[in-house]
Amino acid sequence: MIKINSLTKNYTTYIKEPGLKGSFKSLFIRRKKIKEALKSVSLEISQGEIVGLIGANGAGKTTLIKILAGIVFPSSGEVSVMGFNPWERNNQYRKCMSLIMGQKAQVWWDLPALDTFLLLKEIYEIDEKLYKENLEFLSETLMIKDQLKTQVRKLSLGERMKIELMASLLHRPKVIFLDEPTIGLDISAQKAVREFIKSYQSEFKPITILTSHYMEDIKELCPRIVIMKEGGFVYDGPLSNIQKMMGDEKCLTVTTKDSTFKLTIPRLELARKTSEIFQNHDVIDLNIHDPSIENIIESIMKYGLHST
Amino acid sequence: MKWWAFVIASEMRKILAFRFDFWVTFIGQSFIQIIISISLWKSIFESRESQEMMGYSLESIVLYYLIVPVGSKMLTGENIGFLSREIYDGSFNRYLLYPISFFQYKTLTYLTYSCFYGLQLVFIFLSYHILSGGIQTEQLINLLAGFVFFFMASVTYSQLALGIELISLWADNIWSLMVMTRFLCFFFGGAYIPVDFFPQFMKDILVFTPFPYLINLPIKVTMGSARMEDLFSGTIALLVWTILFHLGARLLWKKGQHHYSGVGI
Repeated sequence: MIKINSLTKNYTTYIKEPGLKGSFKSLFIRRKKIKEALKSVSLEISQGEIVGLIGANGAGKTTLIKILAGIVFPSSGEVSVMGFNPWERNNQYRKCMSLIMGQKAQVWWDLPALDTFLLLKEIYEIDEKLYKENLEFLSETLMIKDQLKTQVRKLSLGERMKIELMASLLHRPKVIFLDEPTIGLDISAQKAVREFIKSYQSEFKPITILTSHYMEDIKELCPRIVIMKEGGFVYDGPLSNIQKMMGDEKCLTVTTKDSTFKLTIPRLELARKTSEIFQNHDVIDLNIHDPSIENIIESIMKYGLHST
Repeated sequence: MKWWAFVIASEMRKILAFRFDFWVTFIGQSFIQIIISISLWKSIFESRESQEMMGYSLESIVLYYLIVPVGSKMLTGENIGFLSREIYDGSFNRYLLYPISFFQYKTLTYLTYSCFYGLQLVFIFLSYHILSGGIQTEQLINLLAGFVFFFMASVTYSQLALGIELISLWADNIWSLMVMTRFLCFFFGGAYIPVDFFPQFMKDILVFTPFPYLINLPIKVTMGSARMEDLFSGTIALLVWTILFHLGARLLWKKGQHHYSGVGI
């Protein structure tokens, strides 16, 4: 179980004026800027749940994950993951947790994956039988068996991601943090990684937090989502509720002689707005449909839940 | 096999992963050093028309400057910036995720590199003596003792380097600080000029610093010119400085980890 209570994280950064003058000035005077990456957020996640963390760049998703993984200290608040305080970095906690960052390699590039796995087997004190079992299961499911003896740096991006996944799951963690695991991958590699996460989740039932900018990842994997905006949570609930919540809105795609534009309007104003559009524009085509999940989430990320 | 043995084995595999670089470093550099050292000091001695310089004969000064480059590499182990670079680019995250002490891990990787350069030291020492007419048992014992002292000095220097590199938790780029530390250790350690060439007042001061025990003493042990009391006082000094540097690094880590944001390239 994960329990987060009033968690806040502030980063201190320094502002440097552009240009040569700014560079000289910054040698003597530095202007401090405090960035609130997390603003008193609270959350509970049960064992076996998979939660999608969505938000624009800089919304605080990765910061939250780094705090939960014990990499970064929070400014205030309380966190308990499986009864552990993550940033105490208790070895027992680290043995039951895993973090996979799509944008940052954690395996050693100059070594073949199998060498890294052997090292991890010793670091995590994985039993020989379990190690063999896991290696077999992971390499089969990820279809990467033939690449295990090749230096990691010589693998393709998709293959490297699969190796990262394997390395992080060898010790069969009970808590998994996946930070953009499909970033930069082609469509078939994305699909393979998604399928793998799905089968791993149903087989071992870990707590999983997933961040991704690809809605396909979220739609396929996460029954529950948390939408973040500027360090806070603006929505926490089932993905299926999102469309229901926005049920009183309709989307219009209007094509005129000169352009195509999209509008989201309340259902009750549909007739009036449509007639206005026909009066004011030279309409060639008009399409009325329900807003897609992507559109709704994009709108929530931009304007928040109540002002969409 | 324990995890630490695997770490050593993995680091060795990394060193051996690039075979061209391995052979250039191991054989190429060794012979270049032997040729430069012999020809340079031979011509200096010939121009002075003297058999001795500050107590050093031509053979002993050649051997001294043969040991210096590889001994220095053994002392400084893994490349400069081994930790600050990882803090800068965020790959340091992995050590915080693994259920092991990152201090132990980094010290081990550092010392693995030291041992690799130690093998090069053995190779150069043996090559030089074999080329000069043969090697005796006493010289082999000196070589073994020198290896042990260089290794002890590497442990001390690794803790100093850890502390210095951890400063990058506050300042993004500490390259010049690391270079300065290395220069001070090399200069006052006798890598550029043997400590015996320094004025007496300086030698008296240096006794209370870690510097002469890092390079000068291990070289003297390897050459067989160290006295028994030097070995004893050197061992104690290295032990004390190792503990002090380690405690300093731990303190820096305790304070600095609150500044770590895990971001990078």
